Amino acid sequence: MAELSFNVDHGYLEGLVRGMKAGILTQTDYHNLAQCDTLEDMKLHLQSTDYGKLLSSSEEDLTVSLVDNKLRENLVTEFSCLRTNALPPLSTFLDYITYSYMIDNVVLLITGALKQRDVAELLPRCHPLGAFDQMAAVGIARTPTELYSAILVDTPLAQFFQDAVSESNLDEMEAEILRNKLYKAYLESFHSFCKNIGGAMKDIMCPVLEFEADRRAFIITVNSFGTDLSGADRSALYPSCGKLYPEGLRLLAKAEDHEQVKAVADCYPDYKMIFDDPEPRSDFKTLEDRFFEQEVKLNTLAFLQQFHFGVFYSYIKLKEQECRNIVWIAECVTQRQKSKIHNYIPIFQGKN
Amino acid sequence: MGDERQLSREAAVTYRCVRRYEAGQPDTQQRGVQRNSGGRQATMGSMFRSEEVCLVQLFLQSGSAYNCVSELGELGLVEFRDLNPNVNAFQRKFVGEVRRCEELEKTFTFLEQEINRSLSPPLHGPLPPPCPTPLAPQPRELITIEEESERLARELKEVSRNRDSLRAQLTQLCQYRGVLTRTHSLTASQAPPPVLESQGLFDNRQDVHLSFVAGVVHPWKVPSFERLLWRACRGYIIVDFREMEDPLQHPGTGEMVQWTVFLISYWGDQIGQKVKKICDCFRTQTFAYPESTAEREEILQGLEGRIEDIKSVLSQTEAFLQQLLMRAVAVLPQWKVRVQKCKAVQMVLNLCSPSVTDKCLIAEAWCPVAKLPELQSALREGGRKSGSGVDSFYNRLPSSTPPPTLFPLNSFTAGFQNIVDAYGVASYREVNPAVYTIITFPFLFAV
Repeated sequence: MAELSFNVDHGYLEGLVRGMKAGILTQTDYHNLAQCDTLEDMKLHLQSTDYGKLLSSSEEDLTVSLVDNKLRENLVTEFSCLRTNALPPLSTFLDYITYSYMIDNVVLLITGALKQRDVAELLPRCHPLGAFDQMAAVGIARTPTELYSAILVDTPLAQFFQDAVSESNLDEMEAEILRNKLYKAYLESFHSFCKNIGGAMKDIMCPVLEFEADRRAFIITVNSFGTDLSGADRSALYPSCGKLYPEGLRLLAKAEDHEQVKAVADCYPDYKMIFDDPEPRSDFKTLEDRFFEQEVKLNTLAFLQQFHFGVFYSYIKLKEQECRNIVWIAECVTQRQKSKIHNYIPIFQGKN
Repeated sequence: MGDERQLSREAAVTYRCVRRYEAGQPDTQQRGVQRNSGGRQATMGSMFRSEEVCLVQLFLQSGSAYNCVSELGELGLVEFRDLNPNVNAFQRKFVGEVRRCEELEKTFTFLEQEINRSLSPPLHGPLPPPCPTPLAPQPRELITIEEESERLARELKEVSRNRDSLRAQLTQLCQYRGVLTRTHSLTASQAPPPVLESQGLFDNRQDVHLSFVAGVVHPWKVPSFERLLWRACRGYIIVDFREMEDPLQHPGTGEMVQWTVFLISYWGDQIGQKVKKICDCFRTQTFAYPESTAEREEILQGLEGRIEDIKSVLSQTEAFLQQLLMRAVAVLPQWKVRVQKCKAVQMVLNLCSPSVTDKCLIAEAWCPVAKLPELQSALREGGRKSGSGVDSFYNRLPSSTPPPTLFPLNSFTAGFQNIVDAYGVASYREVNPAVYTIITFPFLFAV
């Protein structure tokens, strides 16, 4: 009976997360923000939300990148507070969340090193949630094997390196392939972890992760049109824990253009909606935006059940989406492009 | 009731007016405040049902509006209504003044942070509030506060920065000295490098010249540092770790850390580059390592001299910093209260609407009927203080909405009133359950 003993170890943190979730900006807040004319006005509005004096305590000039950094810092503080107080298996779960950022950081550093950029310049651009000690030394590796055996073997990413070890030299293409292979292993590992815990966790997290897996498959396919990544190579990169496995993935590996991808998506009702042609109206959304929307929808469902870890994952993802929204609005405000300002993705409808 | 309540009591401008939470009531509510009736006993009648409250329209002359509202605030008499509900927060008339006050508050926060960080001996608890509590400042007094606070903040920032950089330099020099003293035992006991070159056994090798990298690393990072070095440069380097005797201050966080000295001996240029990159990765501090003993003695002597110099400059800087901080501690509480009051007054002025001729501000407020003479005298006092010839006056209006409920409270009855209000606030002139609660509560819970 998981519900009876859940609160012993994890009740405080779940309560904390639900409290923080109540502070996520609502439709009214976005409406107010969209009406601002300058970043100073946005700062004033953000003071009345849960963000409080976040922006007003800094001494530097208010720019969009400063806003972005402060919001991210806020998220990292909240996450560290949760992580330091967590007991297993929640601590393992939270660590899993950080691995995706670690993979992104590693690939960022590798591509930066290839372009001869200074490590000190790249480090601030890494996501703080995915920081680990040996991060800055990633630039000295020449091949994925070297990367693994010298640097990453002591980090948590070592477990995802099964298929990714290869002798080919690291270049831009290789870095992307490495990213996708690591991510595939990570998603499958995360999925089986959630399935093993079972119960409400499985019901909430598995659909989210399956959606993530299918989304990666679609994006990889669409992005590989025009590059020399063959279908066979592509199919090695598709995560196999999604709904598309195995027939959809096989069809996707054979797809050569956008129409064929759309045909594959038509077989699955959720993805049919995403790939539908939009009506010729002004609020045209890109494919990425539609994937984000669907992700937000799935994540908000996590809060309807209690006594599971999915709330932590969903909170992090929704907070990230909120950061993206605020930065989008800030960009529109600074560049005075008010026409597109309503292209953010609202999260909770909120009550007035 | 703590000292914070004391401050907020003076800063807000209302009586403890409580509103019915129903539709149709205006939403704005000034922060409620306890009126300390002191020795005056609350009349039983108005505690039982609300005091009579009426709607008054105040005509505040433009010149003396600030002072009148300040007087009303000191007395804590009225609750203002928002006459500009459709105007955005940053389109109101006095938003510039409010922003000015907020900028000042930002400076004060910085000053407080510096005080908490660097004052020695450190303060026990927060800064004490000023007594007697100062009034809201006049415009030119506000300008003085602005100038002085900015000057103080600027000076503090500069001196702080100097002190921090001096401290960082001192730490670095001490680390270098530690490196030299600790690694002396390592290299003195090893065989001298020329043995490798002179034998001719390594004729086909290009760079057998032994190079050193010496530095300090944070002790928590030593295991992963060592492991990474071994994995990346296996067989081509020799690493040694020694702990330093005295803890030194970490430049970033300010805590005392017992650094670990390391000495890496390697041969080969490429290995050298790898080693340097790895050292950078773990944020170690590396120093130039002298090859010969004479060089080493020379560097050590130079270091000792510089350390002494820096220590004396540092002590002087510290003394000056403490002086500045003591000055800040003396004036900061007063400034804070005054700026808080000024901001509150400006926010109330934002609620008023300017008249057609722009000569006076019109405000609407709820005032207890019994206090109307006090209201008039407050307005007269405000007009007198600002030195204007024309008096501000008020006009009693009939109100369509029922007035807010007002119970005169003292520190004893306030607690019970709070408990009752948690269930729901009584409407105007409704019987107040708090009276019965005061009687029955002790019997229910205390006996």
